[in-house]
Amino acid sequence: MNALRGQLELWRLHLAVIVLGAIAELIGIQKISFGIGAILLLPLLYAFVMSAVLNPNVVPALGKFIRQKEVKAASPLIVIAIMPFIAKFGTTIGPAIETIIEAGPALLLQELGNLGTIVLAFPLAVWGLKMGREAIGATFSIAREPNLAIIADRYTLKSPEGTGVMGVYVIGTLFGTFIFAILASLFASSDLFDPRALAMACGIGSGSMMAACTGALTEVVPTMKDEILALAGASNLLTYATGLYAGLFIALPIVEKLYNATAGKNDLANASKKEA
Amino acid sequence: MSDSAIAMERTRPNIDLADHAVTLIIVCLVGLVMNTVGPAIPLADGFVGMVVIYLITMVGLLLTRFAPFYLPSVAWISLVGIVATLPWTPGSEWIVAQAKSVNFLALATPALAYAGFAIAKKEIEVAKHSGWKLALVACLVFLGTYAGSVLVAELILRLQGA
Repeated sequence: MNALRGQLELWRLHLAVIVLGAIAELIGIQKISFGIGAILLLPLLYAFVMSAVLNPNVVPALGKFIRQKEVKAASPLIVIAIMPFIAKFGTTIGPAIETIIEAGPALLLQELGNLGTIVLAFPLAVWGLKMGREAIGATFSIAREPNLAIIADRYTLKSPEGTGVMGVYVIGTLFGTFIFAILASLFASSDLFDPRALAMACGIGSGSMMAACTGALTEVVPTMKDEILALAGASNLLTYATGLYAGLFIALPIVEKLYNATAGKNDLANASKKEA
Repeated sequence: MSDSAIAMERTRPNIDLADHAVTLIIVCLVGLVMNTVGPAIPLADGFVGMVVIYLITMVGLLLTRFAPFYLPSVAWISLVGIVATLPWTPGSEWIVAQAKSVNFLALATPALAYAGFAIAKKEIEVAKHSGWKLALVACLVFLGTYAGSVLVAELILRLQGA
């Protein structure tokens, strides 16, 4: 039972997670209302902030209880801790299979909506902020692990494109749950959209961001909780299945062509030198 | 997790499954605490629900390892959860009822706590190094991805008149 011993040696980490998690759960969901809508604060957000504060890499002065050993061990535990969450989401999809089939066309096609990142972020990055080839890596996708792999494979992570995708990846890791909780809160409280559409959009291929997104939605529209969970879960699963290919065969080629056709003309010479 | 490593069952001790089985028990127990503290679901109900969730996860991991074709573990786990709760699966009503005693947000809380503890020096450096431009772009990446999907889904739902 090496595995058990290994985990018991990490008692500090698990204990800290239990204590901070319990505190976060006790604080509960808080709603901040203002003029145009409301923002929902979820226990998972407090848990993340509190544990980050106790992380020696974030606030060195407070990092006494959790050491580098625990930090290292925590990384693979995120993956395992998200598994029961994914299983739970699966169990919301089965009973709602008819809803899912009914929403099938919307569910499938909204995956293409993920390309909205190119519409919004690419122009800002290239023309607004005058970014170089970093913009390619930064704007072609939401920069989760499969997308990192695409860029690593094609450009390496040390290239400008790699810097772009890594930057968005890290910002997503640090702030993605907050951003999604806020986005979903605002979209839902605006009352302009079908909650089913908002739910489907929550499935972007990241468990924790989906949690924040659906958590906020179900709080705003509690009567549709089951439907929201099922649609978000189904959409997330669909993104797991299609995200890599959409990134590789659609999004990245589009962004590359856009860049080369516009900004890239100027620094084509530079870029080819760097890539070589 | 590559298939070749999996095929050689005995030469490479099956660390992975045993390891995951044990670690998952700990993670599920942590989740059970959250489930009891936050949503205030009775411990006994939550416990049975969590056992069901644990079993679904383990079956998903077994499939990840032994299925003839490879899918990421999260995909297998989702699929097992779905199939187990489809209306025409025998016993699905019972599974659905048990799983309802587990709050999905309560399961996300510990995952994010581990994530906070997992932040590495390198990530802080990358974040600092990337600067405000990349941060701004990242915000628009998230907004664009979300809003794009919302708009397409909304449009199709309206066209369907559903």
